[in-house]
Amino acid sequence: MQSTTQHPVVLEMHGITKYFPGVVALKNVDFEVRRGEIHALVGENGAGKSTLMKILAGVYQADAGEVLFKGEHVAFHTPKQAQLAGITTIHQELNQIPLLSVMENIFLGSEIMRGPLINWAEMHRQSKALLQRLHLDIDPRVMVGTLGVGQQQMVEVAKALHHRSDLIIMDEPTAALSLREIEDLFTIIRKLKEQNVAVVYISHHLDEAFRLCDRITVLRDGLHIATTETSDLDMDGLIRLMVGRTLDEQFPKDVAPRGRELLRVEGLTQGDRLHDISFSVHAGEVLGIAGLVGAGRTELLRAVFGADPIDKGDVYVEGKKVTIRSPRDAIQHGVVLMPEDRKQQGLVLGLSCRENITLAVLKNLTRGVLIDRNREREVANEYVESIAIKVANLEHLVTNLSGGNQQKVVLSKWMATQPLVLLFDEPTRGIDVGAKVEIYRLINRFVRQGGAVIMVSSELPEVLGMSDRIMVIREGHVTGFVNREEANQEILMEYATGTGRSVLTPVGDQG
Amino acid sequence: MEQTATVTNARQGGVGQYIGRFIANTGPLLVLLVMAAILWILSPPFRSPTSLMLIGLEAAAIGIVSAGQTYVILTGGIDLSVEAMVSFAGVVAAILIAGTNVAGGQIAEGIPAVAAILIALAAGLGVGLLQGLLITGLNMNPLIVTLGFRSILLGVSLVVTNGAGINIQKDDFLAFITATFRIGDWRIPMPLIIALIVYLVSWVVLRHTRFGRYTYAIGGNEVSARLSGISVNRVKIMIYGISGLLAAMGGILVMGRLVSGAYQNGTNMTLASVAAVVIGGTALTGGKGGIWGTLIGVFIIRIVEAGMVYLSVPSNAKEIVLGIIIVIAVALDVLRRGEIPWLRMRRPATT
Repeated sequence: MQSTTQHPVVLEMHGITKYFPGVVALKNVDFEVRRGEIHALVGENGAGKSTLMKILAGVYQADAGEVLFKGEHVAFHTPKQAQLAGITTIHQELNQIPLLSVMENIFLGSEIMRGPLINWAEMHRQSKALLQRLHLDIDPRVMVGTLGVGQQQMVEVAKALHHRSDLIIMDEPTAALSLREIEDLFTIIRKLKEQNVAVVYISHHLDEAFRLCDRITVLRDGLHIATTETSDLDMDGLIRLMVGRTLDEQFPKDVAPRGRELLRVEGLTQGDRLHDISFSVHAGEVLGIAGLVGAGRTELLRAVFGADPIDKGDVYVEGKKVTIRSPRDAIQHGVVLMPEDRKQQGLVLGLSCRENITLAVLKNLTRGVLIDRNREREVANEYVESIAIKVANLEHLVTNLSGGNQQKVVLSKWMATQPLVLLFDEPTRGIDVGAKVEIYRLINRFVRQGGAVIMVSSELPEVLGMSDRIMVIREGHVTGFVNREEANQEILMEYATGTGRSVLTPVGDQG
Repeated sequence: MEQTATVTNARQGGVGQYIGRFIANTGPLLVLLVMAAILWILSPPFRSPTSLMLIGLEAAAIGIVSAGQTYVILTGGIDLSVEAMVSFAGVVAAILIAGTNVAGGQIAEGIPAVAAILIALAAGLGVGLLQGLLITGLNMNPLIVTLGFRSILLGVSLVVTNGAGINIQKDDFLAFITATFRIGDWRIPMPLIIALIVYLVSWVVLRHTRFGRYTYAIGGNEVSARLSGISVNRVKIMIYGISGLLAAMGGILVMGRLVSGAYQNGTNMTLASVAAVVIGGTALTGGKGGIWGTLIGVFIIRIVEAGMVYLSVPSNAKEIVLGIIIVIAVALDVLRRGEIPWLRMRRPATT
């Protein structure tokens, strides 16, 4: 990776300070990006990365400090102003209109006109040229909604190029991408670098920062901790900078004694998404589910939880056959789901911590028809303490909590129901390094106390690090079971991609 | 930029959010008091106990209807059928009490008002539950379902009365629930007391029962609510049932006061109820707000209407004013969320 030390500086932020009600989100932060540089911005959740970038992009205004972009003082008040000036943000959630074509999305708001009519031919030509600059083989006329997430992201990049952006902010761009799509994205980002565009790269995947970025800036608790050349840093050093302490281990797995069978699924089938899936999980066990994006991992958890209807299949809890037709049924049988998207599916953001934690157990907290506020508070408090949710006041809205603490609120909600089986979809997505370890320890504690966990994760190290046994699925079929001792990335990828030899443990004979 | 460190949080969303927060915090109650004070000063007749009693009396029916609307809007829905329900319930009760309809003459013996009213309330509850069933079971849009039922209920009321009012004689019970009590110079209308009881019960239900908590949870995030094991459909069906029941209750009070059941009894009450809910601070998107805000919203609307009378604005202009109020109310709803773009754009792009 050639050094960018000689490149001119395109962005300077000095002494940026930002207050939110009751919190200092950023304190006197400096940040600098050079032309043609890929600059990683890392830090735990709540460190201030997003706030800093939102100030840059005009979503928030700083309370103090100055921003120089291309040598000029700027203070954007809307994202549109920032975009016109040459700063584009590509979010985890894409801002595209799925029912419009690629070129319509690229030119949205800046359509090429001939008189009062849209000049389709010219727009087609220019879109094609933009996509070719990125070596993308996408037909500008296809509907964006028909593209995969990865390709949709590429279209966003093309759109940024169209707006002649000098600086592109990428906020967790790989969160929803498959391994191959990530490689494609990296190629594109390097293309941007060649074209002298500066990229700010925000990611929880530290290995990505090492592979891709020229420099790394670390924020912690709203403070600027360090900016260094990537080559001057190693993973341990970076984690130390981020969390302010060393992490003994990334995956603090305890192997708990294996008890009786808690959940068995037989022949679960759902449309063309899940085919004849059978597995079981025992007390004290973490069953990992690995597979590529789209293999049916989330669908499987949702089906077991009763969130989506199934066509066929039997579920046994503690050896007894049960009927699960809704989440309510599942919860009654002690099966609960931690969804991958906690904001959309796990929390009610407009309710307080207390109200979210007790949402699933309210019927145990009533006296007559009325909710017993005191008992409700006790229960909520109990979990805030035992799960170590960092919140000053139970009555605070969950929307103001960090990702890790929000995840703990969802976990508390389920722990209050005293479940047997925890279906855990992407346990640490969007969660910082420190909080990840806490979540892992909570998983350990749950299985040690006799529960079972079924965990879906896109991060293979996490699956390998935390599972006692791993089930691999591909295109809705179980392709293999691998025990903890035998598992490694290569084996899992073989089963996940269909290049595996034979099934290690025959399906249906693993209980 | 030197002085910017002292700027308050309001800058975050620009002027729009500042105004929005101001309104949300000090809000509707202040508006109500200011408006009442202005009217108090400008119009001597307004100060009489009778005029205040009238404001309370007229607030009662729309207040009860708006309470029902509050439940629905808190779940993120809307009930456009309430005004038709007000008329329908009044017509049903009047026909039963009088034992007649205008089209057919005397067709049966009248029944006691208590029984007639209970039947009308049951009808309101039933139609509300049916709407809820359609909205949840068939996943139909509440806007369209309740708009459809508005037509159906108005149409039925029109057909059975042949477009005329059905006049009734008050019996003791009906006289009691529409009476006014004298306390010194002041006269307290019974309907207002009924309305306040409805609000008190609604407050308990919304803030202190599981059902109420689920109402907020569903309005806040229906997906999370369902995945938390809440029977979302059952709660929503009940919500529309409550709205139907309370609208019918409002209809009984209107009918009792006018001593007549007619298809026009509920005119404009849908718009007024939505306006009252939104003015009172409940978000149209659901999940946020409360019942007391709605009561304040109802009184704000009543004060505006009374003000028009006392300040001699022609009564034909009433609809214009109501229309303006609802538009302002919805604008406030947006303002509260700080989402008005041009109020944020006003500031210079660079310093």
